[in-house]
Amino acid sequence: MRILQRFFRSRGVRKLARNRLAMFALAIVLFYGVVAAAILLFRLVPLEATRERVGPQNLPGFFANPSPERRLEHADYYLGLLLRQLKEEDPARALRSIALAERRVVDKPLAEIRDALEKASALYEDMVDRDELYDDAQVAAVIPDIERLESMVDSLFVVPADSSTIYSMRLLFGTDRQGRSIFMRAIYSVKVAVQVGAVVALVSVILGSFLGAAAAFFGGWVDHAVIWLYSTFSAIPSLVLLLVLVYMFTDTFVEGTIYTIYCAFCMTFWIGPCRVVRGETLRLKELEYVQAAKTAGFGRFYILLRHVLPNTAHLMFINFSLLFIGAIKSEVILSFLGLGIKNEPSWGIMINQSRPEVINGFFWQIGAATAFMFVLVLAFNILTDALQDAFDPKHLG
Amino acid sequence: MWAYIFRRLIYNIPVYLGILLLLMAALRVHDPVYSYLGKVATQQEYDQLAARMGLDQPFIVQYGRFLGEVVTLDFSTHSWARPGVTVGSMLADAVVPSLMLTVPALVLTFLISVCIGLISAYFRGRPIDRILVIGAVIGMSISFLVYIVLGQYFGAYKLNEALGVQLFAIEGYEPGLGNWVHYCMLPVLISVIVALGYDTRYYRAVIVEESSADYITTARAKGAAEGKILFVHMLKNAMISIVTRVMITLPFLITGSILLEYYFNIPGMGRTLLSAITVKDFPVIQAFTGIFGAFFIASNILTDVVYALVDPRVRLS
Repeated sequence: MRILQRFFRSRGVRKLARNRLAMFALAIVLFYGVVAAAILLFRLVPLEATRERVGPQNLPGFFANPSPERRLEHADYYLGLLLRQLKEEDPARALRSIALAERRVVDKPLAEIRDALEKASALYEDMVDRDELYDDAQVAAVIPDIERLESMVDSLFVVPADSSTIYSMRLLFGTDRQGRSIFMRAIYSVKVAVQVGAVVALVSVILGSFLGAAAAFFGGWVDHAVIWLYSTFSAIPSLVLLLVLVYMFTDTFVEGTIYTIYCAFCMTFWIGPCRVVRGETLRLKELEYVQAAKTAGFGRFYILLRHVLPNTAHLMFINFSLLFIGAIKSEVILSFLGLGIKNEPSWGIMINQSRPEVINGFFWQIGAATAFMFVLVLAFNILTDALQDAFDPKHLG
Repeated sequence: MWAYIFRRLIYNIPVYLGILLLLMAALRVHDPVYSYLGKVATQQEYDQLAARMGLDQPFIVQYGRFLGEVVTLDFSTHSWARPGVTVGSMLADAVVPSLMLTVPALVLTFLISVCIGLISAYFRGRPIDRILVIGAVIGMSISFLVYIVLGQYFGAYKLNEALGVQLFAIEGYEPGLGNWVHYCMLPVLISVIVALGYDTRYYRAVIVEESSADYITTARAKGAAEGKILFVHMLKNAMISIVTRVMITLPFLITGSILLEYYFNIPGMGRTLLSAITVKDFPVIQAFTGIFGAFFIASNILTDVVYALVDPRVRLS
C-alpha cells in the first residue's frame, strides 16, 4: 500500500495526469475492465448466451438487409425450423420452445400455422429455382417476391415482449455461421482478454521484479542463478516456448482452459520485467540511501522490500502495461492456432471462425472481434507510451 | 577477437544445457508415448515405441543421448507420425521454404522501416511525422491475424478476380525461385506490413535520440550539409542500435513465421513443428525445439560479436 501511495504522489504520475490522451486511454482501459468484471461477477453476459442460436446463419449487423440470395436462405431457415418443430410429438410445445433473438412463434391455432407455412413453403420452392436470383442484372425483379415471402414468414412470428436491453442487442452485429450472436461473443471475449491480460501481467511483473531485484541486490550465486534462468527461458523463441508449454498441458484436466494460458504465459513473460528491474536495482543499490540503510543496520530483505523495490515501481507499471498487450495478442494468436482457450469464446477463436465467412464476403464477425480488440490494444499502446514518457524518458522504441 | 568469441561460446554452454533440460522436462510432464498412442494401444506397442526413443530409460540417460544427438548433428531419429522419415530429412525439407519467406521479409522490413524512421525523425514534430507515428501506433494495434485473413482475401481472391489471372496463390507452396512471386510474395508483404509499425517507431526513436547528441550540434556549427549530417554522422552512430535490433530478429529466420506458414500452408519449420504438436509427434517436437534453441544461442553470440565490431566502446578483453 505504501508503495502505491508514494507512487501516486510522484512527479511522473502528475506528468501522466496532465497528458489528456493518456487519461482518455486509461478511461477506455478501465471501461473494458468494468465490463469484464460485470461479466465475471454479475453474469452480464452468461456463457450460454454466446452458445445459443439466435437466428439464421450470417445475418448481417445493424439489421441491414443481406443479398437477395441470402434473404431467401434465411426465409428457408425459418420455414425449416417451424416444419421441424411441427413434426415433433407435441407440436404446440415444440413451437413454443423456439427462442430466437427477436422471434417467438405467433400464438395461433396449429392448423392456421400449418396452412400459412405450406403457402410460404410453396412460394419458396417456386422462388429458389428462378434464374434471376443468380444474375446480378435481373436480381431486382425478384425483390418484391422475396419481400412477399418475408412478410409471410414474419406473420408467423412475434417480437417477444420480455427482453432486457442487452439481449435485444443480440443481432446488433449479426450472427455467425452457426447462427450465434456475434455481439454476445465479442462482449464475452472482453472478459477472457482482460482476465488473461490482468492475471498474466500481474503475476509476471511481481515474479519478475522480485527475482530481478533479488538477483541484483544479493549478487553472487543468486544473481548467477537468475541470469541463467532468464537466459535459458529467453533463448527459446516465445511462440515456440508457448507451443511446448501448451503441449505440456494436453490431456490434463486444464487442457483448453484459461489456466493453461495463465501458466504458459507467466512462464514466458516474467523475463522482461526481471531484466529491467535487475538493471535498475544494480544502479539503486550503489546509491547513498541504500548504503545509509545498510549502515543503520536494517536487514537485507527489509532494505530490498522497503527501499529498493518501491523505487522500481514505475518500471513495474510500464511492464504491466506492456505485458497486458502482449498477453492479449498472444492469447488471440494461440486461440487462432487452435491451441488456446476452447471452452469459451475469444477474439482469436472468432477470427479463426470467420475465415470461411470472409471468403463468402461476410465481414461482421472478423470486424467485430477486430474492433473490440483494436480499441483495447490501441488504448494500452497509448497508455504505455505515456507511461514511458513520464517515467522513463530515455527509453528507446 | 577470437578469445572474445570463445568466451561467449563458453558462457552460453550452461544456457544451452538449461534449454535442453527445460524442453525435455516440459515435453515429459505428460507421458509422450501415452498421449501419442491413446488409450487403445496394447502394452506391447507402448513398450516398443518407448524403447525406440529410449523413453524407458532414466531421464539423465535420455538427456545425455539427446545432447549427444544435437552436438553431433545426428538427426536420424524417426518420426512417429510419418514412419520411415527421419527428423533430419524433415528439417532439411522445412528450412528452405522458411528461408524463402523470412529472408526477403527481414530485408524489406529493415530497408523500409529505416527509411520511414529517417523521414519521420527528419520531419520531427511536423505533420508528416505525426501521421507516420499515428499510423505506426494504429498498425501495431491491429492483430496479426487480421492482416493475414484480410490480406489473403484482398491480395489473393479479390486481386485475382480483378486481374483475371492468378497473380498470388491463395495458399500452398512449390519449390523453385520461379514460383516465388506466386506463392511467397503475399505472405512476405503481409509480414513486412505487420513488422513495419514496431520497427519504424524504434528506428525513429533511435535517430531522434542521436540527433540531439553533441556531435551533431558540432557538425552543424561547423556548417556541414544537412544531408551529410543525417547520412554520414548520424546514421553511422545510430548503427549500433540498428544492428542490435536486426540481430534480435535473426532467430526468426529459422523458426519461420509460424502463423504465416500455418495460414498460407507453406511447409516451413514453424508449420512442421505446429503439425507435430497437433499429432503429438514427440521426436519431431523435441528435435525441432532443441534446434531452435541452438540457433537462438548462435544468433545471440553473433549479436555480441557484431556489436563488438560496430561499437569500439565494447571491450573485448
